[in-house]
Amino acid sequence: MIEIGSLALAVAWVLALYAIVMSLVGAYRRKRDFVASAEHATLAVWGLTVIAVAALLHALTTHDFNLEYVAHYSSSTLPLQYTIAALWGGQAGSLLFWTLILTSMSSVVLLQNRYKNRELMPYVTAVLMLIALFFLSMLNYVTPPFERLAFTPAEGQDLNPLLQNYWMTIHPPSLYTGFVSCSIPFAFAMAALATGKLDDVWIRTTRRWTLLAWFFLSLGNLFGAEWAYLVLGWGGYWAWDPVENAAFMPWLTCTAFLHSVMIQEKKNMLKVWNMVLVILTFSLTIFGTFLTRSGVISSVHSFTQSGLGPYFIGFLGVILVGSLGMLLWRLPMLKSENELDSMLSRESAFLLNNLVLVGIAFSVFWGTIFPVISEAVRGIKITVGPPFFNKVNAPLGLILLFLTGVGPVIAWRRASAKNLRRSFLVPVALGLVGGIILFVAGVRHYYAVVSFSLCIFVLATIVAEFYRGVRARQAMVGENLLIALTHLIGKNRRRYGGYIVHIGMVMMFLAITGTPAFKEEKQITVKPGDSFEMGGYTLRYDGVTPSETPHVAYLTANLAVMDRGRQVDTLRPEKRFYKKPQQPTTEVAIRSTLGADLYVVLGSFDEPTKMATIQAYVNPLVGFLWWGGIVLAIGTGVTIWPTRLRAAAPAYAPGARDDAVTE
Amino acid sequence: MSGPRRPWHVVLAGVVVVGCALLGTASVRSAEPVSFQELEESLTCQCGCGLTVHSCNHLQCDSAMPLRAEIRAQMETGKGKDAILTYFSGKYGEKILSSPTAEGFNVLAWVTPFVLLAVGGAFVGMTVMRWTKRRQLTREAVQPAPHAPSQYDKVLEKELKNFDK
Repeated sequence: MIEIGSLALAVAWVLALYAIVMSLVGAYRRKRDFVASAEHATLAVWGLTVIAVAALLHALTTHDFNLEYVAHYSSSTLPLQYTIAALWGGQAGSLLFWTLILTSMSSVVLLQNRYKNRELMPYVTAVLMLIALFFLSMLNYVTPPFERLAFTPAEGQDLNPLLQNYWMTIHPPSLYTGFVSCSIPFAFAMAALATGKLDDVWIRTTRRWTLLAWFFLSLGNLFGAEWAYLVLGWGGYWAWDPVENAAFMPWLTCTAFLHSVMIQEKKNMLKVWNMVLVILTFSLTIFGTFLTRSGVISSVHSFTQSGLGPYFIGFLGVILVGSLGMLLWRLPMLKSENELDSMLSRESAFLLNNLVLVGIAFSVFWGTIFPVISEAVRGIKITVGPPFFNKVNAPLGLILLFLTGVGPVIAWRRASAKNLRRSFLVPVALGLVGGIILFVAGVRHYYAVVSFSLCIFVLATIVAEFYRGVRARQAMVGENLLIALTHLIGKNRRRYGGYIVHIGMVMMFLAITGTPAFKEEKQITVKPGDSFEMGGYTLRYDGVTPSETPHVAYLTANLAVMDRGRQVDTLRPEKRFYKKPQQPTTEVAIRSTLGADLYVVLGSFDEPTKMATIQAYVNPLVGFLWWGGIVLAIGTGVTIWPTRLRAAAPAYAPGARDDAVTE
Repeated sequence: MSGPRRPWHVVLAGVVVVGCALLGTASVRSAEPVSFQELEESLTCQCGCGLTVHSCNHLQCDSAMPLRAEIRAQMETGKGKDAILTYFSGKYGEKILSSPTAEGFNVLAWVTPFVLLAVGGAFVGMTVMRWTKRRQLTREAVQPAPHAPSQYDKVLEKELKNFDK
């Protein structure tokens, strides 16, 4: 299997190169058979990547420790789900997994566009295969996954214990899917530039791909946050680590693109800006990969660091020079006679939203690379940590939250005084009242007060939109509330799906600003039978229970959670001692309610005295982050779901069908 | 009608950006008194966790624990925040501070995002203004010659009024 996997990668490299050459020559010389051959080669590259992945998975699950990758990232006692997750737990495997997602998506794109966008497709194929060629080059020449060792070790070194967590089995695949999905709009954008077909066809074609990219980037970031919350045991979920930032930046620019693209669709404006955003988003995915794997900036994600940095930075350079060069070449064709009816309009609000989103992306980028700049200029290493990012981004985040309420509701073209009053009077009043109530109630964390007021404002604008829509349907069609709501969403999935996404974002803002503002924490050393108060609960320490499997030794503390004298829960935070590699980890225990998480960590245990040191936190509103993520996922699902359209052809036209077609 | 206009939105954008910058950097050099937690959050743990001394999750951490003791000792001397942080950066190097100081070259770290945002804001403001003006000119150019209101105009006006209600 190993030889087959290795051979598959070598042949895939040749075929990817072949696909690039044939598609470009085919497009230039207008040879359909060349283009078709390139597309078949692309499908073959996908098939070969599947074979390579299967070969590596086979080696992992059969514990073939003669293979360096298997010996390094797995062991015979590693549970099956983590043995499979080891596929992306190491450098070479994760690049192979990336290639699998990329070639799978490329194949889907080719199949989707068999009969349409034929002028664009040769260039789309060439760009996607160029990206695949880069990754296949890494896999064939720089970090091959099928390297054999000179000897066969009796046992593997095992997967990093920090990665042996459920969320790690889904966080990297989500994030990679998000990163790779950004390649599709980028490829179509390049194809549009190459062909000069710069209308909004490429945008309409890739709308769902962009949403898919955004969706998986969102999920990837959230799953990573959940992993950090559960595994790192410091009571938080986001530490502005360079690798977290790397995943956050493309999300920001992709969000900007999703908004600005609406202006191009509606008004044929911002063509250049949209191109810039697509290029920027894709480049940031490669930059993020560079950050994760180069080791240039210190990060807790050191498990994937290697010497791949120069290759990625070189590839990034090629992408930026190539794509910006093409953009400059086509600039005269992209210029449009942009006009705006009024500065008070949805167009202006979206422009502001883009400015803030790109501004946040820049501040994150700047903070991430500033230590490198400082060292290069002054020779002094400095740290740019969470306080910097929080201080710089908090005001920008609040502006963004405000615009989340304004953008979708303010009128296109020109907002009249009547429109403004109708849309914003009640939400603004509710937001202000909410803020005043919080202030009077004694809340003095000003960011939280402003954020909560804005959350109320945004929610009120969205609820009002739903209310108006439902009332209109009820008045016109006489539907009941539920049916009217369902039909309202179903008839305009994009608009109302977007509103649902915004509700999810509001919930996340509640958590992001509320948790740090009202957080409580306590570190206490207790002996069995001792109790302590935390967040309205009484926690009684009932000692520790040791246990062991061939893979891990556990030390589990038992904490009875009492609410007004009645036991409501038992929390069991753990210390785990992995045997290969010998590394202790922390497994937190959480009592989660929508209002707050009671989060406890077993810090240390002293065997002779049986005393344990417990770190306990009360994290208010943190549940809103995860529930907000679910709402966001539902909203994106609503938006992305295909709309069934009636056939546009008249009933009497030859060949007309009256069955529905799918967009 | 087309006389010079005050670019109020540009001024507004400037005010917002300057406000953000002030909010952003407000606590870089905060006034006394300083809390223990504030100092913990101003220092980076050196164990490799990448977190602040306050957030370091290793309860027996051989970096965070001595640093906490050192913070307490420094607080007992009665020094202010700046003096304590200067002590730490003097002893361990600037990398121990969890965010750049607002001095010298490091000012760039704090100011650049807001300066670029201001430039971007001004650019967006001017662009929006230019596009609005262009629209106004287009509208003026295609405006039909005034004519006496016909009976249909009156009916239309009435219908539109009712529609707005």
